Formats: sequence, C-alpha cells, structure tokens
Amino acid sequence: MLKIWFLVLALITSITITSCTKKEDKEYDHFVHYPIKANIKGIDPIHSSDLYSSTVMAQIYSALMQYNYLKRPTTVEPLDADGMPKISKDQKTYTFKIKKGIMFHDNPCFKATNGKGREVTAEDYIYSWKRVADPKSVSDGFWVFEGKIKGFKQWQEEASKAGKTDYSKPVPGLEAVDSYTLKITLEKPYPQLLYVLTMNQSSPVAKECVEHYGPEYQNNPVGSGPYKFKSWVRNSKIILEKNPNYRQETYPTTGEPTDAANGLLADAGKKLPLNEGVIFTEVVEDQPRYLNFRKGVFDIAEIPKDNFDTTVKNDELVPELASQGIRLGKYIDDDVTFESFNQDDPIVGGAKAKHLRQALSLVIDPQELITKFYNGRAVPAHGPIPPSISGYDPSLKNPYKGPNLEKAKALLKKAGYPDGKGLPELQYETYAGSTGRQIVEYFQQRAALIGVKIKITVNTWPEFLSKQKKRRAQMFGMAWSADYPDAENFLQLFYGPNGSPGPNNSNYNNPEFNKLYDKAAVMQDGPARNAIYRKMVDLVVEDAPWIFNIHRKQYVLTHGWFKNYKRNMMILNHIKYYTVDSALKEQLKKKL
Amino acid sequence: MLAYVARRLLYLIPVIFGVTILTFVLFNVVGGDPVYQKMGKHGSEAEIKILRHELGLDRPLPEQYLFYLKQCVTFNFGRSWATNQNITDMLTAGIGPSMSLSIPAFFITIVLSILLSILIVFFRNGLMDKLLQVFCIAGTCISVLVYVILGQYFFAYKWGMFPISGYDSGWDSRWQFLALPMIIWVAVSIGYEVLLYRSAILEEVFQDYVRTARAKGLTEKVVLLKHVLKNSLTPIITSIMMEVPLLITGALVLEAFFGIPGLGGMIYQAVANSDFPVIKAMTFIGSVLFVLANLASDLLVSLVDPRVEFN
Repeated sequence: MLKIWFLVLALITSITITSCTKKEDKEYDHFVHYPIKANIKGIDPIHSSDLYSSTVMAQIYSALMQYNYLKRPTTVEPLDADGMPKISKDQKTYTFKIKKGIMFHDNPCFKATNGKGREVTAEDYIYSWKRVADPKSVSDGFWVFEGKIKGFKQWQEEASKAGKTDYSKPVPGLEAVDSYTLKITLEKPYPQLLYVLTMNQSSPVAKECVEHYGPEYQNNPVGSGPYKFKSWVRNSKIILEKNPNYRQETYPTTGEPTDAANGLLADAGKKLPLNEGVIFTEVVEDQPRYLNFRKGVFDIAEIPKDNFDTTVKNDELVPELASQGIRLGKYIDDDVTFESFNQDDPIVGGAKAKHLRQALSLVIDPQELITKFYNGRAVPAHGPIPPSISGYDPSLKNPYKGPNLEKAKALLKKAGYPDGKGLPELQYETYAGSTGRQIVEYFQQRAALIGVKIKITVNTWPEFLSKQKKRRAQMFGMAWSADYPDAENFLQLFYGPNGSPGPNNSNYNNPEFNKLYDKAAVMQDGPARNAIYRKMVDLVVEDAPWIFNIHRKQYVLTHGWFKNYKRNMMILNHIKYYTVDSALKEQLKKKL
Repeated sequence: MLAYVARRLLYLIPVIFGVTILTFVLFNVVGGDPVYQKMGKHGSEAEIKILRHELGLDRPLPEQYLFYLKQCVTFNFGRSWATNQNITDMLTAGIGPSMSLSIPAFFITIVLSILLSILIVFFRNGLMDKLLQVFCIAGTCISVLVYVILGQYFFAYKWGMFPISGYDSGWDSRWQFLALPMIIWVAVSIGYEVLLYRSAILEEVFQDYVRTARAKGLTEKVVLLKHVLKNSLTPIITSIMMEVPLLITGALVLEAFFGIPGLGGMIYQAVANSDFPVIKAMTFIGSVLFVLANLASDLLVSLVDPRVEFN
C-alpha cells in the first residue's frame, strides 16, 4: 500500500511539474558544467586552504605565475608576470615585471571609474599579501610567505601585538619599484617561491573592493582572472561568466608527446578562455553527482567506489558508456597515503621502536589494499614522494614493503615483542568515513597475524586533528597531496622543527635528516638536490615513522562534447582551457 | 490562560540557560579544537596562537560563556568560523529552502496519515488493517537512504520524471527540484505516523462513550469521524507539534542528497567543522522553538479538549 501511495504521489507530482522540467536553459549551453564535491566556504584568496574553494577562486583571480597546462613534469611559467623574474646571484632577490593592461573585473566597487575595473599594479600585490598576513584576516595561507619574505613575519607579529594592522607600514622584503615592477627580497634562498606565486593566496585583490564589501567581500569576489563572478546560491551553485576584458592569453602550443594524439593540441594558440563560463554545482554525495553526469547534466565526473564495477571492466570503460561518447582518463595523483607513528610516544616512537614500526609496515599487502579498497586505482608507495613530483626516484625499493609476515615476525622479536608478547594494545586514531574505517580494520586484522593488537578509536575530524596536533595520537592514518611540484613539500613532513602543531605530525626528528633538509632547502632543482632528497628518503624508509601505503589514481569520465581535459591536481585555473561543443552535446545527450 | 502562557514563557529562561551551559561545556570538553582545522595543514605554532587570539579562544572560559549568553540575548551570533558568513544571513538563506521542502511534505504526511489511520481503524482486524500495518512497519524499518538511492536512480535517472538533484531559488522553479525529496519524505514518515495515530484512535474506540454512541444507533462512520477522531486528537497534536521545530531545522539526509541549500546541511557542516558560533546559534534557536512548540501544543489541546485546564 505504501508503495502504491509512493507511485501515485510520484505520478501526480511529476505531471504537475512536467512543464518546469522541460525548461532547458539555453543560456548556459556553452558553459562548462563542473561538479564540486564539497560546499564552498568562501571566495577570498585569504582563505584558500581547501581544494574546492581554491578551484573556484583560481578561475576568478589571477597570479604572477601559473603551471603549464600540458607539460609534464609540471613546469611553472609567467601569467601576470611579464616573463620570468630577474633573480639575484645570491638567489635572495626576485624582480618581477608585471604585464601592462591587466584589468580588474568591472564592479561597482570601483567608484572612481564608475564601476570600470582598473589596472592591476605592483602595489596591489603588496596590499594583497599584507592582507594574507594581517592577523585580523585569520588567513590560512600565510605559510607560503612566513619566514620566507624578509621581515614579513615580524610585520605580522607587530600587527598582532598592536591589535591593529597598519597597511601603510612597509614590509622590508616587498617593494613596488614602479607600477609594473615588484621586487621581493627573501630571508634566504627559497627555490619554491615561483610555485607559491601560482597559488590563490598570492593573487592580487583591489583594496577599494575589499573596503567596499567589507566582510562580504568573500561573497562578492573581484579578480583579474578569466572569469567574472556572476552569482552564488550558497551550498548549491556558483556561476562565473567569461571576462570579456581578459588579457591576451593563448592555449599552449606544446605539451607531452601524447597530447597531440589525444586531441589536446587542437586548440593550440587560441585565445583563452575557450568557453563562455562555468557553473560549479556543489554536490556532496557521490550518487547524485555520478547520476547527473550520466544524464549529461555535468561534463565531468570521478567514478565513485560503488559505481566502479559497472563503469570499468578490465581497466577499460564498459561498452555501454563508450557508445555514449563518454571517455575515460587515468591519472596518478600527486599524493601519498600513510599510517603514521607518533615519535613522541613511548611505545611506537623513537629509535628503539624502529623494528616494531618496520614489522607493522611489512604486514600490509599493498596489492590487496589497492584491490579491496581502491578498485585497483592506486600504485604502491615505496617512499613519501609521488611519481610525478620532481625528486622522485623510481629505483627506490622499500625493504619494509609487505607482505612478508616471516620477516615481520622476526623484526617484532628483535623489537623485544616475540609474537607480540609484552606489547600493549596499540591505539589507532581515525575519523568517521566508511572506506577509511575499513582500511584501518584491514590493518588491524593484518597486524593481528603477527600478534600485534590494535584498538581503533573513531573521532570527528576536529577531534582527530586535535589529537595529532597535541601529540596525543599514538598511530593514525592520513594522506598528503602536493601543494607544489617539489619533493620538498613531502619531505618537510619529516623535518624536526615542523613537528606538531606544524605539518610534521609524526614528530620525526632525526638530526641527520634535518641537516640534509636545511642544506637542500636553499638549493635549486637539479641532480645535486635530488641526490640529497634520495638520502633523506632512505633515512625515513629505514626509520619508518610512516608506513607508506599508496599513491592514488583517479579515473575520470568526460563526455564527448567536453574537450581538452588533462588532470593535474596542482593546476587549479584549468577551466579556461576547456571547450564545450554544444552541437555534439545535443546529439550525444540523446544517447544518454 | 494568559497567565499560563506568561508562566510558560518564563520557563524558557531556565531551559535556555541550561541548554547554553550544556552546549558550551560539551563543546569545550569533547569537541575538537577548531583552530587546527581552520589553519589548514600548514599552521605553525605562532599562527595558531594568533588565530586563537582572534577567535577569542584564549580568553577565560567564563568570559567566553558570558559572551555566548550576550549573543543569545541580542540574537547576534556573529560570523561562522568555517565560512566567515554572517550567521543571521546563513539562517535567512537556509530557512527558505528547508521550509519549502519540509512544510508541504509534513502537511501531506499528516493528512494522509490521519486518513489512512481512520481507514485502518474502520477495517480493524481485517485484511486491509493487517496489510497496512505490515507496510507501515516495513516502511518505518527501511532507512531513508534506501528510499533516496532508489528514488534518485529510478524516478530521476532512469525514468526522467524529476531532476536528480539541485535547487533553484525561484518561487516557481524550485518545485521541480523539491518534488522527489518531498515524496520520499512522505514515504519515509507515513508508516510511523499511521501506526502512531492508529493506536491513538484505537485507544478511544473501546471507550464507554463510543459504545453509547453506537448503542444510540450512530453509523460507524459518524462514530469514528465525529466522536473518536476528536478525542484522539490530543496525542496526535502533541506528536505533530513536537515535530514542528524539526521542520525549520531541516532534513539532513534529503538536503545533502538532493543538493538543497537548507539548514539541515548547514547544521551538519557546522558540527563537522567544529563551527561553534553556528552550533551555538542553532542549539539556542532549536531549544526556543522546542519550548514554543510545546506551549502551542498545550494550547491546541485545550481547544479540542475542554477538560484541559491551565493551572
């Protein structure tokens, strides 16, 4: 009876609203329809720590540098900068020329010009970066400049002490030589500077707009990027439209050898952006996101775990989807997942527990882990550095990579716990999430095979973070995704002075490692630095503060009408490269 | 009656006071530290200290509590720690979508439930009664997620009767997005409501006055609709009124799966992010609504049952 009622209600309601559902919004035919997995928190460069908000921001704002869309390994190139910067011999001074004619989007906040956007100048960069440092901004992005740009940290500390930020007070390391010249002086060489200048927190904002909108600036963003903000229904969708005044920027003409064959050079040399705009739809649940893609509402989708087997067979797209013009792309993400041991803990931490950690590393069967929990979408990690990051050494073979239960038992005995005897139950902290929980339980079962008992505690995300940051978590699992394409971004996670509450949450503190890190930190990319990186990796592999699990792979579906997609997690300003063939879209949608 | 209402409204003060203390203590004792989450993965000790100061978390706890009380009294809850939005704006933006979904769905559920429960009682102990009971119990046992997943897959994706998810704030265009979640709301809730109303009505059916009515020669239809239903309304009204605050605070699962930007999703995000200002605001508003609904329930009961006195 209940089902009959359900059907009757469904029928009545669907008849009533049929006229509404037929409304096809032609206005957005040439727009990219892009789903976002989480709710967007705000669109202001001072708050850009989460990937999803940053993705939206990167279309509206511009930056001095960007990553080449097609080249791999990822390479940095000028965007707002007029050519590469002039770098002093001691590598501590960078002088950037800024392109002329880069305009902020038209907006009522530009009262002096009756709403017409004005030109971006070097002063705008300095103002914007001071805003990131301003304690009142409570920004999560200052880490890119903190301790790097001369006197910037002191500037922030003084503002904090004063309780009021004086933007007119200069930062010793930042100078607008003229409207189009920005000079940056560093505390010490910072080879990653050009990478961080691709990030949203380094984007220029207009002071008059920030002051005009006040705290509501995050809901009324005004940038100088390829798209203008049009509207935002919080927790629903954001519409950005093409910036008609966008400067001359063209689609790259060279890339990887396979790019031409994959059709990625068909638009080489064309003016960007290649589409009319983008609609970001916030869909937090997997099923509606995937079904909307299958229905043609979204142009692109990742494959949820539960839908994988009906979408991919023998590592290929199933014929039904292929016949609908859907394409499958496979990409290894620049990340690593790991189990971490708190080195401050008396049981699992320090040199004396090294064999215990090595033994636990050996119990995990990475292939089983990948098959059971990732549908085969991952590659085993032998160290912390992902394969596509500069500094990765493919010859690295981690001797503690499992499965090898015999060796694990021997090491456990060496650690003083034969068959786990005498070892107290270990405490593993995790956070709610079904797959994550299943992976921990798998680890628990595998550890039991050598006699090690593990108790799992499930926390909320804030509790989980608090335990790590307060050094109260004995063991925990995490993942780290690259902020920039340099192995330093992963190796800093083992640098002693970065211990909790810094990013080194295992609190690993090996003087030899720290010394090598300090040495490499001021070196430019190259074989000499890579050799040091390899030594550092060898140290962490041997000391095993982490169990290195996997590097994740993404299988991405795109519709036939959606072109030029090439995934790279660090390239956030990617929407401008996509094209939408609306004639083909109309044709292919009939097949869906 | 006015004196009774005034007295009940005064009861709000200790209730709200208790709720604020409980919320504050729970957040500070078992909640995670929002600073670490807000700082992202790179926060240094110095930055964390600065942030703690800016959020007022380095002030003594009694001072923080008094500040919270002040916010409750002035209805100014400040800004969200997670999204930096003005909380009043968040509430204003979320209440429309939430109530657009919940109020029609709720009324349809109530009307259908009352009709079905009367029907069941009319055919009590017959096949219809037993079948309906089985369906109601089964419907109550099935998780809302099952309805959502199947509903989205078949009604929206396979048969194209509705959009799969999404929302449009236009008054006319929102209904196409709300129709399917509304149907699911009704399907999920109706079983429980019918069983509840059925037992309330059945309790009255065996009363002496019902026997007398039948003895007077009244038809079963008249007995049920005119006498039994009216007297069964007390528990039904109480049950309905207790659900009213939940209509405003939204339907978490339905909002999440259907992309409806309502208050349910907002509360979920606030808890997940340790967004204390939003949690504080919603707890306060929720408890006020609960007390008011309770009062409204008592007043309504007095309307249908003259025996109820306000002492």
